[in-house]
Amino acid sequence: MHESSDEHMLERILNNNEDLAAHNREHFDAAGLLCINLMSAPGAGKTSLLERSLLDLSKHWQCSVIEGDMVGELDADRLRKLGVDVSQISTGKSCHLDAQMVARVVHSKALDKLDYLFIENVGNLVCPADFPLGEHKRVVLLSVTEGDDKPLKYPVIFHNCDVVLFTKCDLLPYVNFSVARATQYVQDLNPRAQCFAVSIVTGQGIDDWLNWLSSAYLQSQKNMPVSI
Amino acid sequence: MHEATIAKSILEIVSKQIARTPGALRALQVHVVAGQFRNVDRESLEFAFDSLKMFDQRTSGCELHLEMPSATALCKESQHAYHPCYQQAYCCPLCGSGIGKLISGEELDVVNVSLETVLHEEQKDHARVVR
Repeated sequence: MHESSDEHMLERILNNNEDLAAHNREHFDAAGLLCINLMSAPGAGKTSLLERSLLDLSKHWQCSVIEGDMVGELDADRLRKLGVDVSQISTGKSCHLDAQMVARVVHSKALDKLDYLFIENVGNLVCPADFPLGEHKRVVLLSVTEGDDKPLKYPVIFHNCDVVLFTKCDLLPYVNFSVARATQYVQDLNPRAQCFAVSIVTGQGIDDWLNWLSSAYLQSQKNMPVSI
Repeated sequence: MHEATIAKSILEIVSKQIARTPGALRALQVHVVAGQFRNVDRESLEFAFDSLKMFDQRTSGCELHLEMPSATALCKESQHAYHPCYQQAYCCPLCGSGIGKLISGEELDVVNVSLETVLHEEQKDHARVVR
């Protein structure tokens, strides 16, 4: 006798990723480090921002980077030249990092001595938004050559982030991008997001960004479980 | 193309439900709710689901019922609930203020699985006794 039965439930899709992200976060908290997930479209300047930031940060702090790319180690090699420890994740055909990929690296890394762990996500403004990795802070880069309407077109990633960096601001005289308009679009979607206009070429806004990093680090230390 | 990952995750939930339901033979339909703020493309998800379900006889006949509700936000000035949309830059249509809080639109859930089941001998006996 065959019948049909309806099984009502509420089960989160992608809950495996969320559980693993929480697991990664436990490792980060136990090590007392601050983990930042950097996300943007391809070519917005994530690696350049890291190069510039690590130049300053690595003078005083232990930093490490997890590089996500579909193919190759071009970005990782750029950062290794600075003497920074870099782990490469090659995602193959996948357009985003997920918590499991990061967990594999986390388990193979000595995290205890680290102060900052940066995760450079695969260049993409859509998919990475749905895959938390265990990071404490989410940072989105939007280069001025992409146009100031991008928060309208990709609302999810801008809605769920802590900081937005408008990059390549040295090019502002040559493109139709309004920092004020882009900031307004971001803040309409996400009132808690902080926006900084930066340029690696001129150094504009870099101090503001580094100050934000430093206060986020100090804040994270206050929230960490006290180690015995 | 994270829809393939989502499709795989849906099928895992369906398979788990078949495994834990006594007498379940196969899945007939799965009801999924994917809110506006979850970046899900309907065609891509349906394509991925229909491709991946064929790898298991217990899921190959399963239909995907995909509900994609629009988001609801609270205006950060007046707490007025509204549906944020691209045309209004996601702002409140009454006062122009931005999103204070999303109260829905971020769902990505399986809410129902319909299964074909065969009753066990003892259940049939029990059914006869009841009758």
